[in-house]
Amino acid sequence: MTAAPFDPAATAADVIIVGSGAAGGMAAYSLTKAGLHCLMLEAGRDYDPQAEVNMFAPESDAPLRGASTPDKPFGYFDATVGGGWEVDGEPYTMREGTNFRWYRSRMLGGRTNHWGRHVPRWGPYDFKPFSRDGLGVDWPIGYDDVAPFYDRVERMIGVNGGRIELENHPDSPPSCLMPPPKPRVPEMLLKATCESMGIPVRTAHTAVITRDMPDKVAPRSACFNATPCTRGCTIGAMFQTTTSFLPMAKATGNLTIVTDAMVSRVTMAGAGRAAGVEYVDRKTGARHQVNARAVILAAGTCETTRLLLNSGDGPAGLANASGQLGRNLTDSTGASFRAYVPALADRPRYNEDGIGGQHVYIPFWLYEEQKRGELDFARGYHFEIGGRFGIPPAAALPRVWGAGLKKAVRTASGATIGMTLRGEMIPNKDTYCEIDPGVRDRFGIPVLRFAFRWSQHELNQVAHGRRTAHAVFKRMNATILDPELPPEKLITAGGEIIHELGSARMGADARSSVVDSYGQTWDVTNLVLMDGAIFASGAHKNPTLTILALALRASERLAARFKSGAFA
Amino acid sequence: MTPSRRETLQWMMAAAALPLARWTPPAMAAGHPPPFTVVVDWPAALPPPPPAQGYGRDPDLMAPKVTWPLILSKAQRATVDLLGDLILPADERSPGAGTLGVGAFVDEWISAPYPTQRKDREQVLGGLIWLEAQSRALHGAAFAAITPAQRAGLLDALTVTAPVAMMAKPVAFMDTLRHLFVLGFYSLPEGKADMGFIGDQPTPGDYPGPSPEALTHFAAILAALGLAVS
Ligand SMILES: Cc1cc2nc3c(=O)[nH]c(=O)nc-3n(C[C@H](O)[C@H](O)[C@H](O)COP(=O)(O)OP(=O)(O)OC[C@H]3O[C@@H](n4cnc5c(N)ncnc54)[C@H](O)[C@@H]3O)c2cc1C
Ligand code: SF4
Repeated sequence: MTAAPFDPAATAADVIIVGSGAAGGMAAYSLTKAGLHCLMLEAGRDYDPQAEVNMFAPESDAPLRGASTPDKPFGYFDATVGGGWEVDGEPYTMREGTNFRWYRSRMLGGRTNHWGRHVPRWGPYDFKPFSRDGLGVDWPIGYDDVAPFYDRVERMIGVNGGRIELENHPDSPPSCLMPPPKPRVPEMLLKATCESMGIPVRTAHTAVITRDMPDKVAPRSACFNATPCTRGCTIGAMFQTTTSFLPMAKATGNLTIVTDAMVSRVTMAGAGRAAGVEYVDRKTGARHQVNARAVILAAGTCETTRLLLNSGDGPAGLANASGQLGRNLTDSTGASFRAYVPALADRPRYNEDGIGGQHVYIPFWLYEEQKRGELDFARGYHFEIGGRFGIPPAAALPRVWGAGLKKAVRTASGATIGMTLRGEMIPNKDTYCEIDPGVRDRFGIPVLRFAFRWSQHELNQVAHGRRTAHAVFKRMNATILDPELPPEKLITAGGEIIHELGSARMGADARSSVVDSYGQTWDVTNLVLMDGAIFASGAHKNPTLTILALALRASERLAARFKSGAFA
Repeated sequence: MTPSRRETLQWMMAAAALPLARWTPPAMAAGHPPPFTVVVDWPAALPPPPPAQGYGRDPDLMAPKVTWPLILSKAQRATVDLLGDLILPADERSPGAGTLGVGAFVDEWISAPYPTQRKDREQVLGGLIWLEAQSRALHGAAFAAITPAQRAGLLDALTVTAPVAMMAKPVAFMDTLRHLFVLGFYSLPEGKADMGFIGDQPTPGDYPGPSPEALTHFAAILAALGLAVS
């Protein structure tokens, strides 16, 4: 670290950034490089992956062999700190009949410390869905507006991958991507099988670097192909803001980070102008107000929405002249399929670790059929795929004991394949978040109440995905291990895929949207939203690369406004 | 990543979510009657678990700790170890699961204060009580004291594909126990060696991909399935 961080008590911050995850990290990086003084407020505790990630411990060192528990939903060593589906003292509620799950961590770096790192680019259709099928709304920007930012974000965070060459799956220009790892045998089998059926399989884009990224402050090393990324990565090979953007931003001397700072609302300097924010010190309960010339909310889609709903003086909240705040919430659809593949039984052993997660995946391939009206659902889905040497799933083992069981485990190790569906949800009027009129968290802040419903589009999409996955399994002469469930049971609960988006959507005008295409709220000129809340719609593709690209674009626009004297 | 590191979670989720023995041929759905005439009742009730605390949402990951007391009695633990050596017996590749100490993991698991584990506690404790009673009813002695052939007879009855109704709970107990032993055993170094697992070692540079041998084998798979190389 080169300079002492600036002191917000002595110098007023130019910008307050709420949240230190993907969006907040990008804002801090971009704005401090542009010379702006930033004060970052993070509700979670300070977190240092270098000191806290137990990268090499075998799972047998963990209680319950690292199995998931309500305390650690993704396993003991998972990097999530202080949260999960529940955060102590910070509840959320649901409308009757709703099953929504909200994943929060309470740590510096937010969910980037343990996310899945699958980072597909969104394509032209994803930004103009209404034009294609008349559902939802178009974004005020198109793929071409975002493409240059995708190029830069891919280079900034480090992404490996290959060409896709499919409709609505734009390829990166040369030099954006690092070389991808070779596929593993189950992935090769899936590829050969799928392609014989006209289903494409392509190299995945993953935010794990396969080449060193030198840097004076935060050097990152190429992945060494051995440890589970969801624990975090002490060598910085997978992208998390705590080993990249945050130390880099701090080194400019322009960033102060306050952790354990639970922001409760945006404070106002007058109509249409934010003064700063109020926050609660999580450790002492003391309330503080801090001021700045501009405020960025990057607390994660739902929390950013909650902050706005809890601000302003009316029940509608702040920046809600359109009435759209809290509406249009979406998550990705999810469903998992699994099979035992006799052809893979007892196959020759080799090191199948590779980089964490899949090396190849199945992008959506039916846009033409959909356009011709041959599908009973709008929008797409993709499959993330898995299959690796390891302990076979219980369902792949016969009910035997003794020597036969040992033999069955050896045989079935590496002989199961999983296809995990992720699909687009179309916003519907029954899915939203609002302030619960009666419940507050332990800081006295009113909590969110969710309403959630899948439409027939999503249910039909998941049913189609199951037919596809099962057809693929059958072509491999595999035994399907999935229980017989109707799509409404097969589909994940709302929020469960952790791709919440859209509850403060962007648009071309103030009547139908909360922010413009730069995340600037229509109603409050110096208040900018940067996380998934501003998405006008979802896509079947995971959102974080797009969150980062839009946050970069919004940050540069904000810096330009500072330069032009807009906040003088 | 060890199988457990990357796949335990999936394994456990699959174990929790999926009904077992889905491969049961429909013809056998009526059920396999046990080879004995007396089947003792499943215990009506178990003592409530002692108070225990989980490890919390922010445990020290550099110093993992089990935070709850173990509940198996000495005799129960001995039976579990014995069952471990029957379920996953010693052979030329690896020791028996009981001898390797996987029984301690079973104890840790069923003592844990989380919902899945609490449910498994009911099954495993109930099953141990049932097994003792059944052994006495059939052979007039504790499970630990009967002959290997008599034990094998009981285990055979507990691992039929489609049990009759009165054997459903005892068979579910054995399913749970068997799967806990598989998880506990194959996540240890000895179990990984048994499976021929290769990995967990930093491999700097580009991931090398499948070995020539694995590729040859793969080519044969494609040929057998009539698939083209893609
Ligand atoms: C297990 C898992 C797997 C995932 N896999 C993928 C994937 O493969 N691909 C993909 O694209 N996405 C994936 N995601 C989603 C991805 O993590 C999120 O899209 C991304 O982190 C969102 O960034 P964000 O900055 O909006 O929010 P976050 O990363 O959640 O950061 C928000 C931060 O704000 C803080 N905060 C919240 N409220 C307040 C407040 N009131 N005051 C101050 N601070 C506050 C939070 O503590 C947090 O640190 C995954 C997520 C999880 C958990
Ligand atoms: S697999 Fe690679 S990126 Fe993932 S934690 Fe290990 S070294 Fe880091």
